[in-house]
Amino acid sequence: MAYVVKRLLTMIPVLLFLSMMVFSLIHLIPGDPAQIILGQDATPSAVAALRAQMGLNQPLFMQYVQWMGKLFHGNLGTSLIDHEAVMKLIGQRLPVTVELAIGTLIVALLIAFPLGILAAVYRGKWADFVALFTSTIGLAVPPFWIGIIFLLLFTVKVHLFQSSGYVPIWQNPGQNLSTMILPMVATGIREAAVLLRMLRSSLMEVVDQDFVRTARAKGLRGFVVIVGHALPNALIPVVTTAGIQIAGLLGGLVITEQIFSLPGFGQLLVQSVFSRDYTTVQGAAMVAALIVVVVNLIVDLVYGFVDPRIRLTGGRS
Amino acid sequence: MKKAGTSLAVISTLIAMGAVVGCGSGGTNNAAGTAGSAANTTVTSTGSQTGVLNVGLQADPSTLDPALSSALVDRQVMANIYDTLFALTPDGKIVPDLVKTYEVSSDGKTYTFHLQTGVKFQDGTTFDSAAVRFNLQRDMAKTSARASELNMIQSIDTPDSNTVVLHLKTPYSPLLGVLTDRAGMMVSPAAVKKYGDDYANHPVGTGPYIFESRVKGDHITVKANPNYWKGAPKIQQVTFKAFSDPNVELTNLENGAIQLADQVPAQSLSTLQQNANFVVSNTPGLGYQGVYLNTSEAPFNNQYLREAVDAAIDRQTITNVVFKGEASPAWGPFSPKSPVYDAKQDTPPAPNGDEVKKFLKEAGDPNGFTFTLQTANSPVSAEVAQIMQSMLAKYNITMKIQQLEFGTLLSNNTNHAFQASALGWSGRVDPDQNTYQFWYTNGPQNGSNFSDPTIDKLLDEARQVGDMSKRKAIYSQFMDEMHKQDPYIFIYFQNNTYAYSKNLQGFQAYPDGVFRIADMSI
Repeated sequence: MAYVVKRLLTMIPVLLFLSMMVFSLIHLIPGDPAQIILGQDATPSAVAALRAQMGLNQPLFMQYVQWMGKLFHGNLGTSLIDHEAVMKLIGQRLPVTVELAIGTLIVALLIAFPLGILAAVYRGKWADFVALFTSTIGLAVPPFWIGIIFLLLFTVKVHLFQSSGYVPIWQNPGQNLSTMILPMVATGIREAAVLLRMLRSSLMEVVDQDFVRTARAKGLRGFVVIVGHALPNALIPVVTTAGIQIAGLLGGLVITEQIFSLPGFGQLLVQSVFSRDYTTVQGAAMVAALIVVVVNLIVDLVYGFVDPRIRLTGGRS
Repeated sequence: MKKAGTSLAVISTLIAMGAVVGCGSGGTNNAAGTAGSAANTTVTSTGSQTGVLNVGLQADPSTLDPALSSALVDRQVMANIYDTLFALTPDGKIVPDLVKTYEVSSDGKTYTFHLQTGVKFQDGTTFDSAAVRFNLQRDMAKTSARASELNMIQSIDTPDSNTVVLHLKTPYSPLLGVLTDRAGMMVSPAAVKKYGDDYANHPVGTGPYIFESRVKGDHITVKANPNYWKGAPKIQQVTFKAFSDPNVELTNLENGAIQLADQVPAQSLSTLQQNANFVVSNTPGLGYQGVYLNTSEAPFNNQYLREAVDAAIDRQTITNVVFKGEASPAWGPFSPKSPVYDAKQDTPPAPNGDEVKKFLKEAGDPNGFTFTLQTANSPVSAEVAQIMQSMLAKYNITMKIQQLEFGTLLSNNTNHAFQASALGWSGRVDPDQNTYQFWYTNGPQNGSNFSDPTIDKLLDEARQVGDMSKRKAIYSQFMDEMHKQDPYIFIYFQNNTYAYSKNLQGFQAYPDGVFRIADMSI
């Protein structure tokens, strides 16, 4: 418990530092929202007037302090472009990406575990070859390409799935899955390739250790030895990788979201950067940072479950 | 047992991640609910019921408020929600619309509009002269994107509820053309007062379609206005879906998710034209594309170097290679659809190597020179830039290419922070709107920082003369001067290219590139 509290406390300076980085970076990019709203034919005086109306003519430091003040009250501000609460915009978009990220990871695990285990059991044999081949293909072929091929195959040639028209899962699970399965598999293949390599090498390392030899000596079958004894000990790097993957996916699914026309969090962030919607970029980046920090904490806590030898304490280990 | 424990741990990790991440959107259930109900409408719209149309758009409209709009894609939606004071016909003529009849005083400084009677906004309030005055004043406000289009208006009188009188500072012949576009779109004053800053999310006009719902970045749904003053439209519901990738938009057309797409990538044009299930509309638009040369800075403060670049570029090759029939070579700001288009003057001559060498010599740089072109980071912009680069390299003119994100490109252009900047213009009906602000001394879009008394005089004259044939003669002199000075290298006129399902009837291409869905049926 003390460990969790300590970890939560260390999150504060991290997030504070990130808030400064995000704020200064977005304000450093040339171009400003007033210019973009008023378009090409705006006079400089009109741009200045709109900047004043938006509160952008104040010193940057003051703008930062005001933003932080609101942030401490849990208010991410109002979008400069859409005039809607940033919280509301994020609330509309984040569930889409969260579902996509979790689905992608499930697909990745479903591919990586059986193949990874087979590769370790039949080391150097055909199963190992198939696993390595799959992971090389998964790493070499970009998800956007797989995505476009999937669209052409499964929505144009065969009308199996829908290419757009996302609905939240609680509204219509059938339609939701019909629009979500293809993007989940398209990105899942790549994530599976990463996990598969990690699991295979980690398992092979464990398989060479004494306790595995002992288990074999006791006469246990190869498969039981791997799944029952070796696998739990090989999971730590896999859990770490999966944690990094899910955190990365939450901000890194932009291209998948574009190809499958999903109104996701990544698209919100990218569109806001293009329109210089400072408040939305800041809000979305802070939420993304918070997610990464929290996911990392959870991954560390999960270590304790996966391997009871790892004790999570507040002090030195 | 151990095995079960492990898999439980893995599963619980996933659930925990989901739960925590779910918390991130906690407290915004309300918002998610709104998104849901909007998306629900899409479910019904993808069904086979007639009278429902799904339209693909190349970007998510940034606003549905005509006073703030600065992108063509906004107009695709707004043109169906709002009517305009004047309207454009498919062949480019300007005709009265919400204005029934009008008179212009002989000195060209007073416009009297007699409005249509019995027209109501979609919120039930009456469209009258007070509403017109409210709209024009709103658009003339400093922080409106329309301000520069209406700044010639001195005052607005409303002698009775159906008459509006505009008094201008000086004669301004582009006025009616301007009023066919966003400055002429009439929004409900009651709705603006009700929603304030949030008006763009609750747009109300007098048009054939009523705004229903929107999920930002995804779709906008509108439904037919049963009380439309020109008669209820045939298509009952329209959903506009945003696609940031043109190939994805095309795939959605091919699989039936949309029935009308607002762009066709050049490389897909011929395949789609051969497909019997779709109709392709490929007609010239009003816009032009090219390169600003910064006349206030080396190297392009030297007029001969500007002329050398102009003579070296082979526009025909660019349109053949990059656009495959979706664009035509340009040598002026007036497209083939413009009332002042002059085929002789606006069609570029073939590149002339001797001329290029002569200009370089006169400039004092016979061995060539180096400059940097700033261009957008899109594949098409890059391709055009690379072709230009190789054309200029023949004469030892080294063009470096710097690809920038659009907001940065625009900002650098406004601040004259460039040597050459590839940026075009989507085009307007009136020739003044395609010239004045770009090349008049200190014009709002004069990125080249160009100033020439002859050009200024001609541009002033052209906007004060009412008769189009007289204006055409003035613009002809203007183009002669532009071809000598070359502050801007015109490269191509882009076409408006659409594709739609053959079930869609009544589609008409308009020169402004905007759909009129009220014309259509399915």
